[in-house]
Amino acid sequence: MVYKIKKFDEAFISDNSIRTNYKKYYNWFNTQDFSRLNKKKSEAFKFFKDTGITFKVYSEKKDEETLIPFDIIPRILNYREWDKIVKGITQRVVAINLFLNDIYSNQEIIKSGLIPVNLLKNNSAFFPEMMGITPTNKIYNHISGIDLIKTEKNEFYVLEDNVRVPSGVSYMIENRDTMMKLFPDLFSKYTVTDNRDYPKKLSEILKQCSPLNVKQEPNIAILTPGIHNSAFFEHAFLADQLGVELVEGKDLRVLDKFLKMKTIRGWKKIDILYRRIDDEYIDPLTFKEDSFLGVPGLMEVYRNQNITIANAPGTGIADDKAIYSYIPEIINFYLGEKAILKNVKTFKCNNQNELKYVLDKIHTLVVKEVHGSGGYGMLIGPLSSKSEILEFKNKILKNPNNYIAQPTLSLSTCPIFTKKGLSPRHVDLRPFALLSNKGVSVTNGGLTRVALKKDSLVVNSSQGGGTKDTWVLGA
Amino acid sequence: MLGSTADSLFWMFRYIERAENTLCLIESGFQLHLISSKNLKNEWDAILKTSSIRQFFTKNNTQLDSLKIINFMFKDQINSNNIYELISKARENARRSRVAMTLEVWESVNTCWLFLKEQLKKNVTENRVQSLIKDTREKIALIYGYLNKTMLKDEILNFCYLGTYIERFNNTARILNTRQYLLIEERLYGLEYYNNFQLEMILRSISSYRSFMWKNQNTINSKKVSNFLISDKDMPRSLMFSIQETIQCIKLILNKNIYKNACYKTAQNIHRKIQSRKMFSNNYLFLNDLIDLNMKLATEIEEEFNFH
Repeated sequence: MVYKIKKFDEAFISDNSIRTNYKKYYNWFNTQDFSRLNKKKSEAFKFFKDTGITFKVYSEKKDEETLIPFDIIPRILNYREWDKIVKGITQRVVAINLFLNDIYSNQEIIKSGLIPVNLLKNNSAFFPEMMGITPTNKIYNHISGIDLIKTEKNEFYVLEDNVRVPSGVSYMIENRDTMMKLFPDLFSKYTVTDNRDYPKKLSEILKQCSPLNVKQEPNIAILTPGIHNSAFFEHAFLADQLGVELVEGKDLRVLDKFLKMKTIRGWKKIDILYRRIDDEYIDPLTFKEDSFLGVPGLMEVYRNQNITIANAPGTGIADDKAIYSYIPEIINFYLGEKAILKNVKTFKCNNQNELKYVLDKIHTLVVKEVHGSGGYGMLIGPLSSKSEILEFKNKILKNPNNYIAQPTLSLSTCPIFTKKGLSPRHVDLRPFALLSNKGVSVTNGGLTRVALKKDSLVVNSSQGGGTKDTWVLGA
Repeated sequence: MLGSTADSLFWMFRYIERAENTLCLIESGFQLHLISSKNLKNEWDAILKTSSIRQFFTKNNTQLDSLKIINFMFKDQINSNNIYELISKARENARRSRVAMTLEVWESVNTCWLFLKEQLKKNVTENRVQSLIKDTREKIALIYGYLNKTMLKDEILNFCYLGTYIERFNNTARILNTRQYLLIEERLYGLEYYNNFQLEMILRSISSYRSFMWKNQNTINSKKVSNFLISDKDMPRSLMFSIQETIQCIKLILNKNIYKNACYKTAQNIHRKIQSRKMFSNNYLFLNDLIDLNMKLATEIEEEFNFH
């Protein structure tokens, strides 16, 4: 086998030297017939296709659903490195919640001068409407998806803290289900920690944040933009797993100061709304006037504390890419601790000196839009042509506030299964964290996204990325 | 349950039922095509009329060519009731109400759609017609199989059945309406022998020829056929059977205050009309009246259960 390692590979040290995590797996792999594995790959494809585990890529034909390619080689992490990740994520999630509580009340962090006030001013992700509103149990970011990359052994960086409407958890669970169907023998050899209790835990933490005036079992609903949304599969998956209604804006109305859904027997109250639509769409009376996705008057119900919205409106400010660079300071400010997980060095283009540096070194940097997601609106300097760079420079100069830049980190690689055998590809990892007044729960593992194109660093499913099952080995 | 979920389930099964009925129609036409009957054109004409797609077909086609019609009914986009489109709509409604159904039901709808998507990439040839009909039928049967075996026997299931029976009633009534002249002419002209063939075609177009013959000791005449299709309580495609099942579903969903309910009253009205029908009364008016009442019932169901 020729396995060309570029920098840090999670499975192989060299062609014939394998890391401990993968040893048992590799021994097993070598006993497998290649054509059998190929067959398993097709089976996985058929399984995803029949079950309709799809997502949509915007700008494609309206009715085209796409399958996310699934790679049958698991990514394997050991419990020691995982333990550090869990602690690091817990710390971030707690600090982000304290930060949100602060900036929507006394703004001590601004007063201390640690964060410049102009980061909030004119920032569309900051919602002045939320000032003075305290969510139930003071929880803003009930659900977070923290994007990590690995660069060296035990060296993890946080790339983004997704606290708006992070998606992907359904693929994490379906990936595990698929692997268990395809290779039951593997799971009896390894002690792989389970990651499929997420829906149960999600249901628990949502119920814990029920509005205080709800005395009986709360009614939960998941709000989706509808079947044409790229993550609709996940919305339906979660509603099914939680045993709750999946609602759209058209099913909802504010009546008698409560949010209600239209059932076959009339209007029924909703106590907890897990919304999978962005902040600015949830209430046309408060935010985007032309939004049909949300419910007019929802914010008034929220202000009256007659509903819990998860995540709370205005949470998006915390995953703003400009705020991201302050997370280590935020952790220190609220918790008096040093950040366990590292941040990627971030250059803010609204700072003259840093802007100059970015423009000079753009061919070595990754430039991102402050509110961009899904791998859109970004430039990977080392992989871009001169004209692409020039075009991007102009964009930055036009609106420097809208951009940040980071050094191109060399993402670790993991083996994937190809026609020619194993081959290394770059990966990232999105574990999901649930926050309630009782603490933080982090999924065992998370969603590993993999750039299927050789040498590509773009792992986003909207741009040709695939996924892998992620194993955290038991102690 | 959300009103919009009930709406999706109701329509999902209306579309599936409509697709299945269309398969039956294609099959009866194709059988005739194989024996090169002189009645072939009339038959296709009746089939296109039954499906209310005649004007769309004849817009681009001057001749009633069997394979052209079959492809038109399977996949032509001009025909919004083509089988692929119907199953696509059923699947779209299944996605909307995914939470209300079991994984098995969802997967069976999804695989049916994937199957047709693949099979209908190319035109349907003479050699493929029968196997395609059979395979599609089996895929649809699987949906109903899983529906019966895996779903809770609750209101969700009843909305699925409501869609099925409202659609089936409409379909059988339309078949009778298109060919109702057959059911009177015999009395007027005594053309019993000549009409037997067409009566047979009616039965074939709802896949009930064998069960009719079984029940009627191989004797076919207008009276028996119309009784079989209109008022037979045991025949799953008869108007009587469909309305009985509809009433049952409405009762189960409503649970209380049944007798004052508009849907229930309309359904009972339909039932009474079928029960008190006089043989060889004006079939045309009778059937038109039933089709209108069935449409009224569908609207009342939508209103009663907050579909929109």
